[in-house]
Amino acid sequence: MHEAKVIEVRDLVKRFGDFAALDNVSFAVDDGEIFGLIGPNGAGKTTALRILATLLLPTSGYVTVLGYDIVRQAGNVRPLISYLAEDAGAYRNLSGYEYLSIVAKIYFESKVDAESAVEEAVRISELDDKIMDKMKTYSKGMKRRVQVARALMTNPKLAILDEPTAGLDIFHAQHVRAIIKGHAKEGGTIVLSSHNMLEVEHLCSRLAFIHRGRIMVEGEPRTLKDKYEVSNLEEAFMEVIAKWES
Amino acid sequence: MGKLRPLVEKEVKDLLRDPRIYIGLIVPIIMLPLIGFATSTAMRSSTEVTMKDLKIALLDYDRTETVRGFTSLLIRMGLNTTNVTADSLERALQEARRFGSKALLIIPKGFEDDLLSFGRARVEVYSVIESVGVGSTGAYSAIDAAFETSSQMLSDMLISKLAEMTPEATEINPDIIRNPLNITRYTIIKDSIIQVPPQAVFAQLMIGYGVMIPMVLFILAMTVTQIAATATAVENEERTLETLLTFPVSRYDILMAKLLGSSIVAVLGGVLFTVGFLLYFQGFFAMPGLQIGVESIFQALPPPPPEAYAVLALSLILSILFITSLGIVVGALSSDVRMAGSLLGVVIIPVLVPSLLIMYGDIGALPIGLQLLIYSLPTSYPMIMAKEMITSTMPVEVVYGIPYSAALTIIVVYATSKLLAPEKLLTLQYKLRIRRIKRRQTRDLE
Repeated sequence: MHEAKVIEVRDLVKRFGDFAALDNVSFAVDDGEIFGLIGPNGAGKTTALRILATLLLPTSGYVTVLGYDIVRQAGNVRPLISYLAEDAGAYRNLSGYEYLSIVAKIYFESKVDAESAVEEAVRISELDDKIMDKMKTYSKGMKRRVQVARALMTNPKLAILDEPTAGLDIFHAQHVRAIIKGHAKEGGTIVLSSHNMLEVEHLCSRLAFIHRGRIMVEGEPRTLKDKYEVSNLEEAFMEVIAKWES
Repeated sequence: MGKLRPLVEKEVKDLLRDPRIYIGLIVPIIMLPLIGFATSTAMRSSTEVTMKDLKIALLDYDRTETVRGFTSLLIRMGLNTTNVTADSLERALQEARRFGSKALLIIPKGFEDDLLSFGRARVEVYSVIESVGVGSTGAYSAIDAAFETSSQMLSDMLISKLAEMTPEATEINPDIIRNPLNITRYTIIKDSIIQVPPQAVFAQLMIGYGVMIPMVLFILAMTVTQIAATATAVENEERTLETLLTFPVSRYDILMAKLLGSSIVAVLGGVLFTVGFLLYFQGFFAMPGLQIGVESIFQALPPPPPEAYAVLALSLILSILFITSLGIVVGALSSDVRMAGSLLGVVIIPVLVPSLLIMYGDIGALPIGLQLLIYSLPTSYPMIMAKEMITSTMPVEVVYGIPYSAALTIIVVYATSKLLAPEKLLTLQYKLRIRRIKRRQTRDLE
């Protein structure tokens, strides 16, 4: 039986004036997948993720998230997803706990559900007692952990994570990756972008290389390595770029 | 010095090319002349209108040649006198108001006898206060100046008369010769008669209603705009707005949260400012003499009716929502708080100019363009209401202004909520960023 795709993107174009940030992009993501969008700066990763997160509208093309059209049914999409921006900041004068509690109250009507979501977020963030401190005292890594916790505590059907481990040290990056994997195992779907090829190889069940607004190749990490006869994804990416440029 | 020069050059170039700096530098050049223009135009036009046809009503119980001479002196001094006949003070005042007189002059029986027998001739002046604008003071000063000059002329007449008299005249009190008029001044405001000169009433009412309340409202408008702009610009600066816009809440809820949050904090700020301002003025009122005057004036005046306070509150709420929305637009389009602060200086000009015009002048006396500017802004109506509620029960322009303000505020709030649609906001921010980068590149190439 054919299951509905969590994400379906067809012929997506996004223009900012004359500049085409996305040029006829198509891909699909299934339930429980961790899908990676991989590419250099300015490739169009963040634009694609912002469109999925209902922040930007496509210039043309068709995009559905969990069966809802992201243009006409954005209000249905938002409660089912969470979005972690690459440079998501923090409210300096709120404590991490206060911020997470406010977000939980937005997502959950029941007080019990909201409290349990906050507990989960505190666990994910690994901030312990520091969670009660104002966020202006946090390091960049601590703020990132709060944001990752915020994105995953609502148990979203689709988590859209732009560079989820950016700014984290090796220990906390490992911890966040484990959380992301755990979320997928529990049935959640994740689409993420990353520059870190090792991370992508470790995390993603499938990925797409994106360059200058176009998807050049798509597949499982192992398949791509085999296809281009290379030992890692970085080399595979460079091969793809070289072929495309020539 | 050799190494200092390139460093200074770097500092100056970097600072002058930063819009957060140069906008801040440009704003005073625009604002200060505008403030000066608004203040002088307001005062000049209301004084000109008042002085052009300065009417006073005259109730003459003496009906003598001396009174006729005295009246002609007043006319020569520029006062347009109209004789009224009435059997009571109330009727005389009604007549005076009907003629649009700024004052009623009552000359009691015995004026000529007192004057010619070298006694002080008694007159009563009832000044009618209809507005507490700064420009209105000119009328009362002009009336006083006319009396002063007339008194001087009467004094000269008595001195020349004295020369023709017998030596017994030396027993005459020279003070009376120097100042032959015994003027008792009353002020009429909202049908209450207070036995103090209009300038004294005016100074206190003007401080209270004509300046303090509009100023408090202006500061409140400034504070609420600044808070709203800062709150939204901080979201941009700290990169939290993007996340906020993905939450399952409507754009309208996000906007209303900003409007209400900013307004609550601004009202708190407004209360603190008002308390501080009152304490500051209490220092003046505590001066000997002035304290008694203030108490008697405020006790003598009937308080504005409850519906006046209701209209004031409604117009205030509408103007706060209106101005907060503008603050949110400024904040949403600013990359950071400093940029928002610089842009606010530009946005606040249309609010500042009408508030000065209201504070310093009578709106009806202003050129039509400035009147339209005042009436086009919801922020003007609470100021008009606060200023006029002491002298008239319900200014008609405020009654019409409330539905207009409500409609305009709804349009602005709706437009702001549309701007908060992430597509529009992010695209607009992107375009502004690209424009800035292109400008910088062009400058660098040059």
